[in-house]
Amino acid sequence: MMVSGLLLNITICFAITLSSFAFAWVLARSEPEHGDKSKPALWALVIFWTLVGFTYLPTTIRMIAAYTQNYGLDQMMYNLAAIPFAFVSVPLVYFIIYVIVGNKKVSGYVSFVFMIFGSAYLTFLYSNGVNSTVTEWASLFSVNSDIAISIYLMGLFVVPTAMILGLLLIILLQRVPKRLRYRTTLPLVAISFVFDFMLTDMITNIDIMQVFARLFVLIGTVQAFLAYFPPLTLQEKLGIQEYQFDFYEEDDETEHDIEDDIGDEGDDTNV
Amino acid sequence: MSDEIDVELEQKVADYYKSIGINQGPGDIQYRLILKVLENNSDRITEFADIRKYTDQFADRGSIGSKIKTIFQLEGLVKKVKRGGYKVTDKGLMAASFLKSTTTFYKKVKRMSDIIERMP
Repeated sequence: MMVSGLLLNITICFAITLSSFAFAWVLARSEPEHGDKSKPALWALVIFWTLVGFTYLPTTIRMIAAYTQNYGLDQMMYNLAAIPFAFVSVPLVYFIIYVIVGNKKVSGYVSFVFMIFGSAYLTFLYSNGVNSTVTEWASLFSVNSDIAISIYLMGLFVVPTAMILGLLLIILLQRVPKRLRYRTTLPLVAISFVFDFMLTDMITNIDIMQVFARLFVLIGTVQAFLAYFPPLTLQEKLGIQEYQFDFYEEDDETEHDIEDDIGDEGDDTNV
Repeated sequence: MSDEIDVELEQKVADYYKSIGINQGPGDIQYRLILKVLENNSDRITEFADIRKYTDQFADRGSIGSKIKTIFQLEGLVKKVKRGGYKVTDKGLMAASFLKSTTTFYKKVKRMSDIIERMP
């Protein structure tokens, strides 16, 4: 019985690792297509997805360790995964503040505050230790430090989530073309999906909930991918295709010429 | 005079409206500046010199005079009260308030397009 649940868990973690790394890589490769103004935000996103990947890589190993009943490795990997996880809000906050305010310095300072939050979380986590339980679905750790949990809820998640919602609202309240709206809101929705379900994943002490949270993290990653690279069928359904027009180049065509053409075709009443 | 006019901003707003095909009114820097000055001087007579203070970098003297005559005076936005002296009418103040809303609209569009531009 123990086999199936944990195996599924391992698979999901591995899928998240792969897809978030792949997405980060694809984003990084698309850099030349972006303007100078969006590059800082782009790199923040690349770092964000890389950190997600680096959180789930040790988590995959951790689940394998739990599966093979190697509890020492399990705990070690938990501690390792906590590091990228604690700083996952840093690039995210940088991204949001930069997009809204447009000042690299300001967003740098604000994200530095979140770096301090992250470090504080890690300090409390490591100094107070964790309790582990392995069930048929998951390997769970409960954090002993209440302060760590508070920091992490308030500092690392609630504030960035509120920021994402704020940015979403700003964009949704404006009248922008459908394609642009899709392109700007879907990544945000995807990010908040991933971000919030990572939180659920880390603090839950119900095994099934962990598996589901991870499933939703995976869905969020796929969603983010679709936001940037929507498949043609989806584009058609949503009416957001980007038509490839060729410029109609025939010089010296004036309104007059067109009127002449029409005049020639019809009868000569307007001559 | 109540507050200074931000000529640079007015120029940017006018350029924006020009870029969407509105060359007159909100898209015309001279129109904007004249109306702004008239609005600021709404409780007293506006003289040519008040307007020229702002418009000299954009226009020669004649064009301001003719603009006031052919647009502002003709449409009843100002009343000529003495030689070279004008007073804004209620209709003119309405136009000024419309002008203000064009500035607000410009700022909104600009902020949004900036956000979208920064969004990778």
